[in-house]
Amino acid sequence: MSEAAAGYDPRHVYHFLLTSRYLTSRIIPLLAIAAVALCVALVIVVVSVMTGFLDMIKDSGRTLMGDVMISYPVTGIPWYEDLIEEVEAMPQVKAAAPMVETIGVLRMPYPRGGVKEPKMVQIWGVDPERFAKVTTFGDTLMWSEVPESAQYEVAHDQAYGPIIKTLDRAQRIAILRASDWEDTTGMSDSQVANLAGALTQPEMYEHLRYVMLNGGDALPKILQDDQRIAIQQVIDLEREGKLPIEGDLVADGLSISRNGRPGIVAGIHVSDANFRDSNGEYQIGGNGHWWLPRYEGALTTIPVDATGGTLEPETVIMPFVNEFSSGVFAVDEIRVMIPLETAQVMMHLDAAEIVDEMDPSQVIGVEPARATMILVRGRDDIDPLDLREHVRVAYQRFVDKIGMNHPGRSSPPVEGINPSLRILTWEEQNAAFIGPVEKERALMRTLFSIVYVVCAALVLAIFWAIVYEKTRDIGILRSIGASRPGIVWIFLLYGLVVGIIGAVIGLGLGWLITANVNGIHGLLAQPPGWLAWSLAGLTVITLLWTILRLFTGRILPIMLGIMIASILGLLTALVFILDAQGGVVIWDPAVYYFSEVPNSIDLPAAIITMIGAVIFSLIGAAIPAARAADVDPVKALRYE
Amino acid sequence: MSETMNHPLLEAVNLHKTYRMGSVDVPVLQGSSMQLYPGEWVAVLGASGSGKSTLLHLLGGLDTPDPQGGEVLFKGRNVSKLARGARNRYRNREVGLVFQFYHLLPELNVLENTLLPGMVGAGIRADQERAHDLLNTFGLDHRLTHRPRELSGGERQRVAIARALLNKPEVLLADEPTGNLDEDTGAEILELLKQEHEAGLTILMVTHDRTIAELADRVVMLHHGRVEQDQSLSVQ
Repeated sequence: MSEAAAGYDPRHVYHFLLTSRYLTSRIIPLLAIAAVALCVALVIVVVSVMTGFLDMIKDSGRTLMGDVMISYPVTGIPWYEDLIEEVEAMPQVKAAAPMVETIGVLRMPYPRGGVKEPKMVQIWGVDPERFAKVTTFGDTLMWSEVPESAQYEVAHDQAYGPIIKTLDRAQRIAILRASDWEDTTGMSDSQVANLAGALTQPEMYEHLRYVMLNGGDALPKILQDDQRIAIQQVIDLEREGKLPIEGDLVADGLSISRNGRPGIVAGIHVSDANFRDSNGEYQIGGNGHWWLPRYEGALTTIPVDATGGTLEPETVIMPFVNEFSSGVFAVDEIRVMIPLETAQVMMHLDAAEIVDEMDPSQVIGVEPARATMILVRGRDDIDPLDLREHVRVAYQRFVDKIGMNHPGRSSPPVEGINPSLRILTWEEQNAAFIGPVEKERALMRTLFSIVYVVCAALVLAIFWAIVYEKTRDIGILRSIGASRPGIVWIFLLYGLVVGIIGAVIGLGLGWLITANVNGIHGLLAQPPGWLAWSLAGLTVITLLWTILRLFTGRILPIMLGIMIASILGLLTALVFILDAQGGVVIWDPAVYYFSEVPNSIDLPAAIITMIGAVIFSLIGAAIPAARAADVDPVKALRYE
Repeated sequence: MSETMNHPLLEAVNLHKTYRMGSVDVPVLQGSSMQLYPGEWVAVLGASGSGKSTLLHLLGGLDTPDPQGGEVLFKGRNVSKLARGARNRYRNREVGLVFQFYHLLPELNVLENTLLPGMVGAGIRADQERAHDLLNTFGLDHRLTHRPRELSGGERQRVAIARALLNKPEVLLADEPTGNLDEDTGAEILELLKQEHEAGLTILMVTHDRTIAELADRVVMLHHGRVEQDQSLSVQ
């Protein structure tokens, strides 16, 4: 019996042997594994997406606003640099930045023609350098160079732009009239001039180019010789494909200006020409034609005076210098950034001299510049709620000192007196939104704990069937001396292995789905043609196979064939219908706040899910295992 | 041989066994007694429903008699009163069971089926050498890795007998071992049993076929759960 002492070989312990054989030679355990895997994958996908969603919301606090903000809308906080000094003196604070927030109307460069679309926007006047220390503004900027698709257009802008600038009013009117643009017929000169003012620079040079190439006789009257020569040079270069491309249209680094001129950095979804393709990548409309930094926008806002009344609207025309993508759709579709000073001027929140009412030439003081919001970024280890209390203390200190530092007018708002003054964490500011999401996640967790029960019930049902099928085997094993615990152990081991394999496959599947959730969503939104056709092909193949099986006279393959063909046929029809209707959008960025579905797996939740699945598989297997042990061997042996 | 004959190896003492079918109690064994002496080959002969399989199950420790329904003695020990673990060991080591329908595990191959009692009993590496010897003797050495469904009925029954003999039991209990086989194959199986018997194995075989029963040293007739006749047949 030296072999017995030779050791423990799992292949020769009948539990392991039978468990592995039952697993590998039957279809039923595959069903059990598939059930567990699907349950695990389902929970992992849902919990990961929900957690990712919540994390994105919480992260976006820092991305967009920092941790804590002091806000006093519309009229703003005077002497805000003193306040920032006070706040930044706090050891818990990393940085603070002033900003002015208001709303306005932005005239977009589209569509072509004299009537452009206005868009309501939220204007943030920021000092980019300081703003980037509080938020991740720098990381959200879209363009560090001219995108590939827009380079051709930008080269034209750069070639024609300087020439367009030399055109006077009369020349512009003449060009529009000469370009066979039917809109201009029957218009007075001033109307045509207005139209010319509304057109974008690219539109203007398109007309000019048209006139150059087709105008013939009209040209000498319209253009001066040097202008015509310049245009001809550009056209020649264009024909030879030698138009130089120099990408200096994007603002340098963080600055919100170009060539010293204040500009606009718009959210990526402010321009309706931008869209996301099915891969989730941003695309510029019209093959780069509508790349926003090619154009200028007219931004209009209504300033408010010290008493709370409105003043005449202020309009500033500024070039678009960049776009930003914060990932939060609700922000990206409405927010534009402009330099702080520009915003202060537009809102009449800039520093101004105070003159004597009797004698306006007498300057009696200075009205300080104001900021409607101070954003505060805490050190990484500080809880936002603690930070808020420190900021509140700093604000009180600022108010206490203000009378001493700046005696006289322009006292800052005080908590308790000015109800609009708020010092809040980002989460508090957005509680109306974050609260429901947190509740939703809790609800999801509760609902999905039911999935475990479903998982256990499935394993129980499947194992019940397995035990039923194996009743005779149990009788045989008992007849050769296997003990009841031995029989229990076979099925528990079986449940354990099914649970573990199912959980691992479920993790893989869940990870695969979660990681590709945006691609899958894209597939639904724009089902590709090959998918529909290959599904249709599979349907036909299955149908042919089924028809061939009709001659064998067996029901199962025919039934299976019909079922699979029906499912494939339905899927094919679904894909074709989706295609015809332009797809379904489940994750509508307009509804879900973020423009992308969160796609990182929640590993702790995934591990808990896997452990849960194994435990519940064991629970599901335990009852059939106990039943197996109680099988009367005599009855089991009679069982055929 | 005659000395050991004085003490029965396996003994049924006034066995009663009642099965409940729905609401009716069906008495299957109604006071059956018999003895099996070492080295004997005894045939239990009876019509179907006479209780012969039940007798075999009780002797094999697969089932227990009714309370106060007699006892099964193995070497003088009451098998029915053994603790569960001891009864499992009894089934594993002291007796070998062979059935009409072979009862092999379909997922295991020939060698694994044969080794099963060794694995169940020892829980560690079973006696491979013994299994190979048995399968060689039974002419199955070329079938080791085949599954039961790939074997003929006769081959299956030979595997079942090899399995029953793996742990070198003293008694082989066979329930209609040829009942599912054609005459020639059945004869082969009986020849094989005869060889083992001649090598010293004690056999109790249940059958309804008088010609098969006549191969045994002794025939016990069972009728309606009672032993009617216990006679030694003249061995040819």
